[in-house]
Amino acid sequence: MTMKKSYGLIAAFDSTPALFRACEQVRDAGYTRWDATTPFHVHGLDAAMGMRRSKVPRFSLAGGVAGFITGMSMIWFVDAFDYPLIVGGKPYFSPMFAFPVSYELTILFTAFATIGGMFLLNKLPMHYHPLMKAPQFVRAMDDRFYVVIEAADPKFHAAQTRALLAQAGGQDIAELEE
Amino acid sequence: MTAPAATHSPAAAPAPTAALAGKFLVAGLVGLALTAAGFFLAHDSAGVALSYLVGISYWSAVVIGMLMLVLIHHIFDAGWSVVIRRQFEHGLAAFPWLFVLFLPLLASAWLKPGLIWPWMDLSHELHGGHTVGTDPLYLKKASFLNVKMFTAMTVGFFAVWIWLSARLRKASFTQDADGDKKWTFMSRKTAAFGIPLNALALTFAAIYWMKSLEYHWFSTMYGVWFFSNCIRAALAFGVVITVWLYQRGDYKGIYNTNQFHCLTALAFAFVVFWAYITFSQYFLIWNANVPEETFWYNIRESGDWWWIGMLLLFGHFFVPFLFWLVYRNKATRAPALKISLWIAAIILVDICYNVLPALKDHHGVPQPFFSVNLLWVLTSVVGIGGICGWAYLRSFARTKLIPIRDPRIVESLTYHEATAP
Repeated sequence: MTMKKSYGLIAAFDSTPALFRACEQVRDAGYTRWDATTPFHVHGLDAAMGMRRSKVPRFSLAGGVAGFITGMSMIWFVDAFDYPLIVGGKPYFSPMFAFPVSYELTILFTAFATIGGMFLLNKLPMHYHPLMKAPQFVRAMDDRFYVVIEAADPKFHAAQTRALLAQAGGQDIAELEE
Repeated sequence: MTAPAATHSPAAAPAPTAALAGKFLVAGLVGLALTAAGFFLAHDSAGVALSYLVGISYWSAVVIGMLMLVLIHHIFDAGWSVVIRRQFEHGLAAFPWLFVLFLPLLASAWLKPGLIWPWMDLSHELHGGHTVGTDPLYLKKASFLNVKMFTAMTVGFFAVWIWLSARLRKASFTQDADGDKKWTFMSRKTAAFGIPLNALALTFAAIYWMKSLEYHWFSTMYGVWFFSNCIRAALAFGVVITVWLYQRGDYKGIYNTNQFHCLTALAFAFVVFWAYITFSQYFLIWNANVPEETFWYNIRESGDWWWIGMLLLFGHFFVPFLFWLVYRNKATRAPALKISLWIAAIILVDICYNVLPALKDHHGVPQPFFSVNLLWVLTSVVGIGGICGWAYLRSFARTKLIPIRDPRIVESLTYHEATAP
């Protein structure tokens, strides 16, 4: 059996401060396709990794605007255009009575867009990830911290990236297969 | 945590504020003196008295909101807001002074009944010829709407507020010295019965002080409307005070983007809550179309009040809502401060919108918003606000900047939310 295509390099760290420093160095070196794997939530790691704010709110906003317009135009179309009908002595169309429904649809569509946008951006559900079959993964769920830099990163260079990880204090640096 | 600014540590007493407190006191006394002069010298003393009611309702709303936020903090055993809570506790020092400043209104109820609240004068003539005393809509409500009840209830509201405030302040300030956890538990108990008590007090206060000005009217939303303004006002002043403390240097190294974003996010949520309540009140009345209810809005569509209604719709909801949809405007101090100051101002307009049109001429037409009464509103707001600011600063100078021995102080100081960069 031949070695498959390389996914990237993995380096281990024994403590969160070491991981923080390593992440800051990888971030400052300009890598974009890389990740840190920790057994628990590490506050502030997103900043150390230079992560930008999530783009999910943009999906939410689009969903909300679409929901509001849907509600307003649907009620106008049904009550004032397609089949004009007087209800309770009110005008055929008024934003007053269209508002509660439009507001509910704003919330509904915002929720759908938020959930959908989140799955689109985080690429879940993901049934396979090269890290899952790596032997290090067991420790990543227990007591060790890892940084993985993908070979697909434009700045990736087998020797230089390995040197960077070593210099950042990474231990047991190994290659991951795709 | 980074080290706090070099000049003083957070545990030390805050930098002196005596000079500033003096300025607030002078501004307050000048404002009150001008309002009093207006009341005794102006042609229309009812307009001045009603403007003063606007001022006292406005500042009561701010402090009631602060009380509610402290109670909510304790009932949820919250962590993030510990470093902010102390400022609200100082704000609660204004309650006794607000009571003192309310006394002239109580005196007017006994000495000149009907000057402010028309139902206090049974011989007050209504539009159409008959009097309050023969009005079936008054007689049905007479056991509730009479001067004795009004006086007893108002004293009761302030008793509730002053008592709850005293308990919360004592617990928090004593804990600074002895660090005993029992004070936290005591405050949680205060919160458990204090939230319903405060909810009842603020609802009835809104009904007695403002809504009863037009006692024919019905609205089940009124108390919630006032509550939403109370919380929005307290959060707006929370932003103003904490930004001021940050810029002064007190909060450097204590107050971070995460706690600040939580505060503004809460304020943002209440922008929507206010809109929900205010729209619901309008929508239900519009939909039911019953004259006993619609007249209230009809009055507020005459003259320049129509434009004030539009200003509230856009200025009280859309402007802060759209600005605060953007994360940067919530997490950055400069834009959040501007929006908060705007909200603090527009809440005053909202209270004017609810109170001032009660002052009608013989044809039932309300005096316009842009009238001399606006001047008295401003002198009242400066007068009462000056006293409230002075009370805050006096309390501020006496204690630590933050509750240094609160069990959750470390959690609050190191508070971090995953969404912030």
